Amino acid sequence: MAHFAIADETQLVEAVRAARETREPFEIVGRGTKRAYGRATSIANTLDVSALSGILAYEHDELVIAARAATPLSEIEALLNQRQQRLGFDPADWGPLFGARANAGTIGGALSANTDGPARLRFGAARDHLLGYRAVNGLGEVYKAGGRVVKNVTGFDLSKLMCGAMGTLGVLTEVTLRVYPRAPESATLVVRDIAPEEGFAVLRRAWSSPFEPTGLAYIPDCAAKSFALGDCGKGAALLRVEGAAEPLKEKTAALRTLLKGRALERVDNGEAIFARIGAGAAFLGHDGDIWRLSVPQASAASCIERANAPIWFADWAGGLLWLGLPATSATALRAIGARAGGHATLFRASAESRATIPVFQPEPAAHATLTKSVKAAFDPLALFNPGRMFEGH
Amino acid sequence: MLFAPPDPDILARRGKILAGLRGILSDGVVSEPAGLAAFDGDALTAYRQAPLACVLPRTRDEVSALLRFASAEGIPVIPRGAGTSLSGGALPRADAILIGLARMNRIVEIDLENRCVVAEPGVTNLAISRAVEQDGFYYAPDPSSQIACTVGGNVAENSGGIHCLKYGITTNNLLGVELALPGGERVQLGGKTMQPGGLDLLGVVAGSEGLLGIVVEATLRILPKPPVTRTVMAAFRDVPCAGLCVANVIAAGIIPAAMEFMDRRCIDAVEDYCRPGYPRGAEGILLIELDGVEAEVTDAVAQIEQIARAAGAYEFRAAADEAERARLWAGRKAAFPAMGRLAPDMLCMDGTIPRGKLPDVLARMAEMSERHGLGFCNVFHAGDGNLHPLIIFDVMKPGELARAEEFGAEILKLCVDVGGVLTGEHGVGVEKRDLMPLMFSDTDLAQQGRVKCAFDGASLLNPGKVFPMLSACVEQGHMHVTGGRVPYPNLPRF
Repeated sequence: MAHFAIADETQLVEAVRAARETREPFEIVGRGTKRAYGRATSIANTLDVSALSGILAYEHDELVIAARAATPLSEIEALLNQRQQRLGFDPADWGPLFGARANAGTIGGALSANTDGPARLRFGAARDHLLGYRAVNGLGEVYKAGGRVVKNVTGFDLSKLMCGAMGTLGVLTEVTLRVYPRAPESATLVVRDIAPEEGFAVLRRAWSSPFEPTGLAYIPDCAAKSFALGDCGKGAALLRVEGAAEPLKEKTAALRTLLKGRALERVDNGEAIFARIGAGAAFLGHDGDIWRLSVPQASAASCIERANAPIWFADWAGGLLWLGLPATSATALRAIGARAGGHATLFRASAESRATIPVFQPEPAAHATLTKSVKAAFDPLALFNPGRMFEGH
Repeated sequence: MLFAPPDPDILARRGKILAGLRGILSDGVVSEPAGLAAFDGDALTAYRQAPLACVLPRTRDEVSALLRFASAEGIPVIPRGAGTSLSGGALPRADAILIGLARMNRIVEIDLENRCVVAEPGVTNLAISRAVEQDGFYYAPDPSSQIACTVGGNVAENSGGIHCLKYGITTNNLLGVELALPGGERVQLGGKTMQPGGLDLLGVVAGSEGLLGIVVEATLRILPKPPVTRTVMAAFRDVPCAGLCVANVIAAGIIPAAMEFMDRRCIDAVEDYCRPGYPRGAEGILLIELDGVEAEVTDAVAQIEQIARAAGAYEFRAAADEAERARLWAGRKAAFPAMGRLAPDMLCMDGTIPRGKLPDVLARMAEMSERHGLGFCNVFHAGDGNLHPLIIFDVMKPGELARAEEFGAEILKLCVDVGGVLTGEHGVGVEKRDLMPLMFSDTDLAQQGRVKCAFDGASLLNPGKVFPMLSACVEQGHMHVTGGRVPYPNLPRF
């Protein structure tokens, strides 16, 4: 068991080349906030990349930022804030859910784990914001992909592949992201005492409206306490819109018209509530297992009914369901997900569960073969986080 | 441009291959020269080559069977949608089977509850928006060829369009595909969900230019139509000032739905062609479209007017009504055919640069134009820095084609040098294949090449595209227009 702390890209290349000789794989670790996410592996060596930190270029008037991959997300967000800008995928802070410190993760970790938060609904996922990157592949080569401009179709779009790859395709060293202007204000409206099916219907109406909601979540009574929502009755539908003062007034008025007959109450802690939604706050302080179901929005209510979870809540207008159910619900949940045209991820569970129960939805044979070939195209000797996504590679 | 010579062994087996194809498709095998001539290229008209055979399947099972057959026989396959690629993405080879997907043109499902449309690859881009417009939705990517180009081709080329500034290009509006792999097996990548369950293979398929598989079905995100849309026009006496205005609008935190630039030569050509009402005498104009709720649009228009005037705009005007708005855009859409009337021949480039470099790059292109002794005009997607300079030349004058190509390559090199890229939306295809080393090292290209191999180990899908050949002679990226006749003259070009 060895711990390799590399100081820069050159040392990283040396470490990978050495690993090619010994055929000993690495667990890639930045600040270690999400080590308990993904399949449990028994990789002896860790590769500490936390020194690959620092902002390389922030061109606020180009809406582009470039940083070393292990730059703390908090550092990037603080800088963007100064210019009234944001990361569009709204990275959520999962650290505390996995027993790590709050607000301690890196940009590379956020991209690699797809920590898309509530505003992903409006601005797109991590993969929609990574314009280009530098990385070291399993051959021990430094290469780059993509570019630094928003509109680019030159060559294969490898940036998409790196997002959500859990570090299995290589070690990111630098990333270039597009950023968005941050709206001056936001308004969060709540419909209280609304049952799930009706609540999801309200969210979908807002989602299909042109008022560009940046948050559409449903919190059932069982989870209301975790979000400081007060009395929610059967549950609460939450709608967030953004803009300058006047447009915001117009958007909230338009939503009231759209949902006439519903009492829409404006709450003033909306930003905090949505940050807690992204962070899975309903499960803080519980140590039970967590599943996340990614489903088409219109299937949310039926999936919730079938899953019958004691604690749950929903984000992305019903497209993302957080469920407090034991790891052993895998077969039932995956059937529910598959029936809806979606998939289930075992988000949090003991290492033992994550070693025996597939964390990511098992893929049909031809798809699984392709996944394996793509992994090998980047990392033929399986040196990087082998087994973290799928068993055996 | 250097092309690999056709495989004589495949050519010799043509009779047997045709028989095999006819065994799979009861109709839709094109083999006679007159029929094949219709499929001998795309909108990159400089290159023409009839395929060995062309097949027109109607079902995904037929696509799989054709791929299985081609793979077993070791025959290259070229996928084709409507053949509107500007980079030669659908250019055939003499030893390849061309699979035309245009007959697979069914919209499979309109799912308003999940805000998506599921379509076969041969459905046209515009048909998606048409299918949902009465319900208040539209499909955002709007390439200029949208009345003809197909969904399958859009996925392959990762097509953009005017509105991608705010709403993204194809990959940002694509939820899933069913992909037929070279051996004929099919995989579903993505679906109607917002996150992939494993590696984001869908992400690398979008924009892979037909090198990784054939899309037999696509699931596309549709957007609700904005309540208010307003178009403004700003006129400048100086081109770099217009560039500055673009950079300042973006820097002010405004993301317009579209922001387009046209220079003087282009304005004059368009005014002569269809009189959209642009100010003659302006060195450049910007057309900017804002959408959203009323207050948002009003705010943005006011801010943009200030920015434009500060940058030197001498005229600023908002379209008074829908008819004027349509007229302003009609001019922009007519830019390409209008230029085609003036110039004997044109080369159309497609680099993207950081927006802040616009003033500098525009000035340097003017210098190059003088040095090469060739005129050019600029019409482009300014908001995202995607340039489409048109180089004007006459192929009948000795040496002009070579000079034009040199000029074009110099522009693309400049784009890369200032931090931009070779192609913003037309794709690499064969056109810019040999320029790839300007942007990517051998190591970078080898990594992309290994991904190709992961999908297509035998390298049968669209060979000779995107990646430079080892012994290629470097040529330039261009769209060649002869005698003022543009390919698909009835299509508006952006």
